[in-house]
Amino acid sequence: MIFREVEDRDLIAKARRGNVDAYNVLVSRWERRVFNYLLRLVGEREDALDLSQDVFLKAYQNLRKLDDPGKFAAWLFRIAHNEAFSLLRKNRPDGELAVEPRWGEASARMYPMELSLAVEAALGRLSEDQREAVLLKIYQGFKFEEMAEILGCPVSTVKSRLYTALDLLKQTLAPVNTGGAE
Amino acid sequence: MSCSSVDLKAYLLGELPAADRVPVEKHVNSCAGCREELERLELTRSALASLGDEEPPQRIAFVSDKVFEPRWWQTVWQSGPAMGFASAALLAAAILVHAYARPAAAPVDTAQIERRIQSEVDAKLNAAVTRAVAAAEQHQNERVAQAVATAEQRFDQQYQRDLSDARQAVMYYQDRMARLTVASNNAARSNQ
Repeated sequence: MIFREVEDRDLIAKARRGNVDAYNVLVSRWERRVFNYLLRLVGEREDALDLSQDVFLKAYQNLRKLDDPGKFAAWLFRIAHNEAFSLLRKNRPDGELAVEPRWGEASARMYPMELSLAVEAALGRLSEDQREAVLLKIYQGFKFEEMAEILGCPVSTVKSRLYTALDLLKQTLAPVNTGGAE
Repeated sequence: MSCSSVDLKAYLLGELPAADRVPVEKHVNSCAGCREELERLELTRSALASLGDEEPPQRIAFVSDKVFEPRWWQTVWQSGPAMGFASAALLAAAILVHAYARPAAAPVDTAQIERRIQSEVDAKLNAAVTRAVAAAEQHQNERVAQAVATAEQRFDQQYQRDLSDARQAVMYYQDRMARLTVASNNAARSNQ
């Protein structure tokens, strides 16, 4: 992890001096994470890919403004967050859900494919703010403080969104065992 | 420690410092309600983690564009080693200029010297160009081979995933079919 961070710092320093190859290496390290974050947020592959390209272009153009290269991940996801919500606001000014629920509740006897569909549906039932909190914590592994930087809100707001989301997901993905038949 | 003061979600998400984790673990061991709640949260997190990442449908890469590149003086100014190298080069140039600028001790054949320098420069230039071309070709070949290998690996992984999904789907529908058949037979028997 430490070596990786040092390498990223080195790549950032080279990219800041105009080394496009160094920046492409940096992009190849982060594009999968950024793409999947955007995909689960906006729900469309084409939109997610377009947004990913915009995110990395903006990051390159503004790389000199990054004060601490050690915070590159949070800074990059802050750009991704802004791009995604800009699109979501444009497409759905009334705050409709991005991902339509497609599956019922989870059960202990689910096949992996069914479980994936149930998880997608459960995520789709969350509000965009709640879903993003889950994506940043569960799938991207950011700390609360980093999430607050990315989302531009206090840590208390981050916790509130995430905890509410987990309670809602729990009802679907880990329902209370009432002891009845399947 | 009471149930209301236990932050099970922060504990589960690794946001509690080590010192704060111990009292939570003690409480969970002695409280069935909190233990069940933590198990449900674990189950929820496991279910969420089962959703794998997708490969981006297309790789993102940038090509060099003069518009976005910094000016040469910005590049030099931001690089300590480059500044050092530039200083050393300037010093070496000054020494050379000083050496060549000194009055000659005896008349020399300048035309012959020029020809000799020209031939040496040509030889070095040709060698440098040959090396650069060879290195560029090798680099290009390596990149092509790497791209082909990556693409093959990706296709193979996708194929294996598709195969696995198809197997699961077949098993799923076979199971459903068997259940339907049993139910149908039972219904037929009860009608008789």
